[in-house]
Amino acid sequence: MHQQPALRGSSVRDQGLRNEGEFLFREPSDLQSPRSTYARSIPVTTMTGDLMGRKVSEKDAENSLAQMEGRYRGLLEAAPDAMVVVNQKGEIVLLNVQAEKQFGYHRDELLGQPVKNIIPEGFAERLIADDLRSAAEALAQQIGTGIELSGRRKNGSEFPIEIMLSPLQSPEGILVTAAIRNITVRKDAEKHLAQMEGRYRGLLEAAPDAMVVVNAGGEIVLLNVQAEEQFGYRRDELVGQQVKNIIPEGFAERLIADGTRTAAEALAQQIGTGIELSGRRKDGTEFPIEIMLSPLESADGILVTAAIRNITVRKDAEKHLAQMESRYRGLLEAAPDAMVVVNQAGEIVLLNVQAEKQFGYRRDELVGQRVKNIIPEGFAERLIADDLRSAADALAQQIGTGIELSGLRKNGSEFPIEIMLSPLESADGILVTAAIRDVSVRKRAEEHLVQMESRYRGLLEAAPDAMVVVDQKGEIVLLNVQAEKQFGYHRDELLGQPVKNIIPEGFAERLIADDLRSAAEALSQQIGTGIELSGRRKDGGNFPIEIMLSPLESLGGILVTAAIRNISVRRDAETHLAQMEERYRGLLEAAPDAMVVVNQQGRIVLLNVQAEKQFGYHRDELLGQEVKSIIPEGFAERLIADGLRSPAEALAQQIGTGLELHGHRKDGSEFPIELMLSPLEGSEGVLVTAAIRDITQRKRAEAQLLQKVEELNRSNEELQQFAYVASHDLQEPLRMVASYTQLLARRYKGKLDSDADEFIAFAVDGANRMQRLIQDLLAFSRVGTKGKELLATSSELALKQALRNLRAAIEDSGADVTHDPLPMVLADEMQLIQLLQNLVGNAVKYQSGGVPRVHVTAVMADGRWNFSVRDNGLGIDSKYFDRIFGMFQRLHGREEFEGTGIGLAICKKIVERHGGTIRVESEPGQGSRFHFDLEGIERTS
Amino acid sequence: MNFIEDSGELQVLLVEDSPGDVRLTREAFREANRAIKLHVASDGVEAMAFLRREGVYADAPRPDFILLDLNLPRMDGREVLEQIKGDESLKTIPTVILTTSDAEADIVKSYELRANCYLSKPVRLEAFETLVRSINDFWLTKVKLPQKRMGK
Repeated sequence: MHQQPALRGSSVRDQGLRNEGEFLFREPSDLQSPRSTYARSIPVTTMTGDLMGRKVSEKDAENSLAQMEGRYRGLLEAAPDAMVVVNQKGEIVLLNVQAEKQFGYHRDELLGQPVKNIIPEGFAERLIADDLRSAAEALAQQIGTGIELSGRRKNGSEFPIEIMLSPLQSPEGILVTAAIRNITVRKDAEKHLAQMEGRYRGLLEAAPDAMVVVNAGGEIVLLNVQAEEQFGYRRDELVGQQVKNIIPEGFAERLIADGTRTAAEALAQQIGTGIELSGRRKDGTEFPIEIMLSPLESADGILVTAAIRNITVRKDAEKHLAQMESRYRGLLEAAPDAMVVVNQAGEIVLLNVQAEKQFGYRRDELVGQRVKNIIPEGFAERLIADDLRSAADALAQQIGTGIELSGLRKNGSEFPIEIMLSPLESADGILVTAAIRDVSVRKRAEEHLVQMESRYRGLLEAAPDAMVVVDQKGEIVLLNVQAEKQFGYHRDELLGQPVKNIIPEGFAERLIADDLRSAAEALSQQIGTGIELSGRRKDGGNFPIEIMLSPLESLGGILVTAAIRNISVRRDAETHLAQMEERYRGLLEAAPDAMVVVNQQGRIVLLNVQAEKQFGYHRDELLGQEVKSIIPEGFAERLIADGLRSPAEALAQQIGTGLELHGHRKDGSEFPIELMLSPLEGSEGVLVTAAIRDITQRKRAEAQLLQKVEELNRSNEELQQFAYVASHDLQEPLRMVASYTQLLARRYKGKLDSDADEFIAFAVDGANRMQRLIQDLLAFSRVGTKGKELLATSSELALKQALRNLRAAIEDSGADVTHDPLPMVLADEMQLIQLLQNLVGNAVKYQSGGVPRVHVTAVMADGRWNFSVRDNGLGIDSKYFDRIFGMFQRLHGREEFEGTGIGLAICKKIVERHGGTIRVESEPGQGSRFHFDLEGIERTS
Repeated sequence: MNFIEDSGELQVLLVEDSPGDVRLTREAFREANRAIKLHVASDGVEAMAFLRREGVYADAPRPDFILLDLNLPRMDGREVLEQIKGDESLKTIPTVILTTSDAEADIVKSYELRANCYLSKPVRLEAFETLVRSINDFWLTKVKLPQKRMGK
């Protein structure tokens, strides 16, 4: 609707726009007086003016006119409006198809008809009767404008029209071309508009703000009562005045002078916003205003409705706010937590240095950024999307509490946070201040606490004792399965109940009422110790308990963990123990030995009458004394200082055995003792019962025995020595005797008388015998005195040596001596040779003629070699089996067999020295078998 | 000042305290070898005096061979042995221990003192005579004895 024609109708009807008193309207001016002027040449403007200005021939004029007519008809047909051409008589001479349509006639039905038929009133009159105006004026005027004209259709219905007339020269004279427009719609619109105008005025009046309507000339055309009040004017004082009068600057300029924007754009803008505009009152005072403009179409052109708001208060508020803002900024910076201010778009508008640190950004990197960047989830959603609550509620809530929010640092790492939001009003609307707290540590602590709690619960359940956790009110908050069993309740029946229900006395009193000690001290004490506390079961039964309390910190404050032990058994045991103690005392008194019971401090706690006697004390004198005073050494050390063995082991051992311990009597004398210790459990701990035996007698006996043994050894040795020395020293004189008697015999045989020979012979013989006896005796005694260490010896080689020694005897008798393989034995080689030599020698000697056969064997049995020397000799009567091993025992006379009878005695001594035994099996005439055994040696192969 | 004293005769010094043993020895040697001149000292002191030709033994011949008993009164055989073998002029004389003892300690000690050999007196007469014969056969017949020095 950029064209002027659109406003035509409206401005006429729009009464509100006129100045009061003046009624502006337009009359259809006459084109001219048709009759009077018709004859005149009318300068036909516009369309035909140029053409007619030239002088042309009539013919030409006719031709061109005909041409014009043709063109004219064409235009007529093509015109959008209904076109009707009327002659001076008021008859329709021409019409177009639009006219046909508009009026509902066929062309033929209208041609030649009076235009009255279709436009009953107004047309002709207007046209003809107006003399006041010149033709030019009349033509130039928009005749239809403002007059209510109606068109009548063929069917009789009428419709409002607007007509535009223009003259048309023709051969028949001046015709009038009428453009007829159906303004039904426009009329309706005008009606509606009138309605709206009415309402508008109403609104205007009712508006809270001052409302002023300004026209294109900058004049106030309308205002409301608020405007009167704000500016202190009366309505009539302002209408028609320049708006400048009340809004000196800003309004007009903005509005009109701005050529770069279209009117619409300019109007659409809230021009007043942010610009300091002042309103001037009638009394000259100014006040800050904010104006909001909106366009208003009117017949007079575009008007501007201005809503004017007195923003004095707001300005003050803004100042205040600015102040607050700067204070706020200060606080923000100083805040210990990271503070971030977010606008409604979710962008960060403000942050403090803590925020920079927490998130690792520089301020400028965050301002203007979406808060999502640093708090990916939780913030925005909570804040914005929550429609159920008012913004204030949502903001006021500590939204962060309980919700896992994460902060995202610049380096991409996340950390758990807690945010507290609060609204902040600002010129830009509601902002959200978020205090962001890094709760990593707290999270860890919380996790740790949760862990500990679950571990604790685990431990609680697994504990062997009944465990009950009580809060500060004395109510049970936790218990384990043992507690359920002990007290006979189900868990649910106890949770939340006062602990008094199960432990009537002692618990609470001790715990709570004790002001002298801190809770910690009270808790850490073993309150139960020594105090008789009872637990009460569900069934009402009581049982003795012992409780041990310890504090437990939890999120809910300090709790008390109580370990409750049913000490019924122990009580019984204690009773029993007391009984046993009684009996024990009885036994102690009756014991034959001195009995002393010692405690762990080494003090005598008990003793019997024997002990009194032994040590010469009275009971009282010893009770409580250190056992050291009666047993100076050995007792305590063994008992206490031995850390390697448990007390039980140490006690169980006969510590006294082998050790020289002494008892110390009251009179100071000492006596040897033997201790036998055994543990004794008492209520005070482990005690030691010591049985103390006076071993003076025994010691004496032992000493005597030792002495005797020594004597025996000494005499034995002397004997040995004696035997040796005797034999040895006897040899000398004997040698003289023997040698000289032999010399005598040799030199003087036959030279003296026969008696002399005989005497000498006996002497020689005697001396010889004696020599042999002594030699044998010496040999016998040497078995012991000159015995050598037993070593690995080849018995076979020993036998061979023995046989060499016996060579003469063997050769002389033609004896056949054989042997089996003989083993290695543990023996004194010399003696082994002697042994074998004696046995084989005997075997060869004691024959009755014939060839002596001797066989030596050895068989292993029980780790010892059993040797046998068998012969086919004379044999021995069994009654002599023992005698033959005696010293100088012979079964035959000297004439029969020579020898002193020491051989077998020596054999026996040798064999016995080697740890074996020798025996003989024989029958007279059946030969003999001598058996002896020696220790074998592992032959290393 | 005899160049060769009693040529063909060997001088043997027997140091022995038992007269009985002395006679036995003398008889045994007489049986074994008539060319032996047996001198006798009955204790260690006498023996040393003889060897050193002191006092009454000023004219004593230097023995070619010494038979020494260990158990002697006054100065026992071990000391005599030590002195003989410690004396430059005497140590070359073969000195044989002839004693009743057969104790290991005596045997060892004697050899340590550089006895030329150790013999144990047999108990039996025959054995004794055989031993003396052996001594003669070996030490006084087969064995090369050091020549006497000229003069004292």
